Amino acid sequence: MSNASNGTPNVISKCNWTVHYRMTESAGLTIYLTDYRGHRVVWEAELPYVTVDHQAQDLELDDTASHDHGPFWVPLGHRTQASEIACNDFRGGFELTVDFSAGVYEYTQIWRFHEDGRLAPWLTIHGGGLHAAHTYHPHWRFDFDVDGAGHDAVERFDGSRWNRVAQEGWFLYTGDADTDGAVWRQIDFGSGASVSIRPHHWEDAELFAIAHRMHDAAPSPHSAAGAPTYPAAYVGNAALDGIDVALWYVAHVHYDDAFPFTAGPWLRVDGF
Amino acid sequence: MRRTGGKKSIPAMKGTAPAKKKAAAAKKTKRKAAATTKKRTRPTGQPDVRMADPSLFAPFTVGERADALRILTEDKRLASMSKVGRYRVVSVEPAPVKPPHERAGRRMASVVVYDYSQERCVDAHVDLDHSEVAHLEFTKSQPMLAHAEEAAAISVALSDDRVKEKLALGDEPRVAMHYWSNEETDVIHGRRAAAVVFGQPGATPSLVAVVDLLSNSVAEVVEADQW
Repeated sequence: MSNASNGTPNVISKCNWTVHYRMTESAGLTIYLTDYRGHRVVWEAELPYVTVDHQAQDLELDDTASHDHGPFWVPLGHRTQASEIACNDFRGGFELTVDFSAGVYEYTQIWRFHEDGRLAPWLTIHGGGLHAAHTYHPHWRFDFDVDGAGHDAVERFDGSRWNRVAQEGWFLYTGDADTDGAVWRQIDFGSGASVSIRPHHWEDAELFAIAHRMHDAAPSPHSAAGAPTYPAAYVGNAALDGIDVALWYVAHVHYDDAFPFTAGPWLRVDGF
Repeated sequence: MRRTGGKKSIPAMKGTAPAKKKAAAAKKTKRKAAATTKKRTRPTGQPDVRMADPSLFAPFTVGERADALRILTEDKRLASMSKVGRYRVVSVEPAPVKPPHERAGRRMASVVVYDYSQERCVDAHVDLDHSEVAHLEFTKSQPMLAHAEEAAAISVALSDDRVKEKLALGDEPRVAMHYWSNEETDVIHGRRAAAVVFGQPGATPSLVAVVDLLSNSVAEVVEADQW
């Protein structure tokens, strides 16, 4: 399974899925041109950033000398890859896994494909860090092309029903979810098919919905000094109805969660 | 996709409306809806993402990578950067463009460079099939560290007296993280910087050295448990 590491594109076809994958320099193990039951679902899906925030310990209320050190990160990719890419079969599907090691931080990236249309882009965080008070922020970027690009809409479950997202924005998981636990979804007008996103209950997830652009995946979350980081910096006022959309799922995993902690959403393809 | 009646509601999911009913409704509104439907139907005859060539995503060969960098540094807009030579190549990765963009179907590269001479990020898309820079943007963003920058940060940290003083026996550089400060008063705010984490393998880190890569100096030394 090492071809994806040395340049040859890899493809797997089984369990109703056809998946291309490759190791990147900065966005982990990326899948692309992925079909479910012969229909295109993903143009490209990746894990561009995993930032880590440490919070100063032993802070006093009158402590004016304390210093916020902000986030830091190291990209997951060739440079931090610590194992070969493995493909494992399990009952009802298969999965791609790879380990990364960056000094005191260790991760396992997982893509799981179920024959019933579920897809799990996950990251197992193995703990570590400089001290106990820190938070991990894995960022996934999903460029879904549900039965082709365009003609798509994004919706979020709000209260008791699905509501259309009119323009680019940032959408928190507030606890409202449909009966399957899905909070957001991307729908294709043509086929009626959709990809729904069910967040992990414990990771304070949020979703950024952004109109697809040629340049919307910078190799760092830092946009400019003092400015919002990516993907927040990409959010403008573009209308989303009927166009090609990129979705960013950002998880926030606090160190007081049990480790190893597996972050990331469940995705589900319906309608094919 | 056929959306008759101009409604903006979600289209019926597969299986929720009988096919006959759909066909009858479509026939009934055929004349009135013809023009509208035509506009809303997915364009035909255009390249489609479903026909995309997987080889456009394949990692670059050594030669393709060299080609992308050569095309970029030959661009006149980057003449000063190329001449001064104080830049680091951060990443060169395949970046295929979706149809119907005019460059869809071509071998495209996303090239990111940090230009130390002007403290800017150079974000380019290079069309390898046409040997030209398709898109060029200069920003104040801080891309991830190049491998050479990580090595430089570790080297600078290891030669700093304050760091040497605080290192315990067996401490070694564990990782160089890309770092930026959120505080405007911080000396490295807005500058190219790394945080070099020291410690013994398998143990809790002991020290963090913040390295200013513009001046090749250590800006701050922090006990790891105080970070």
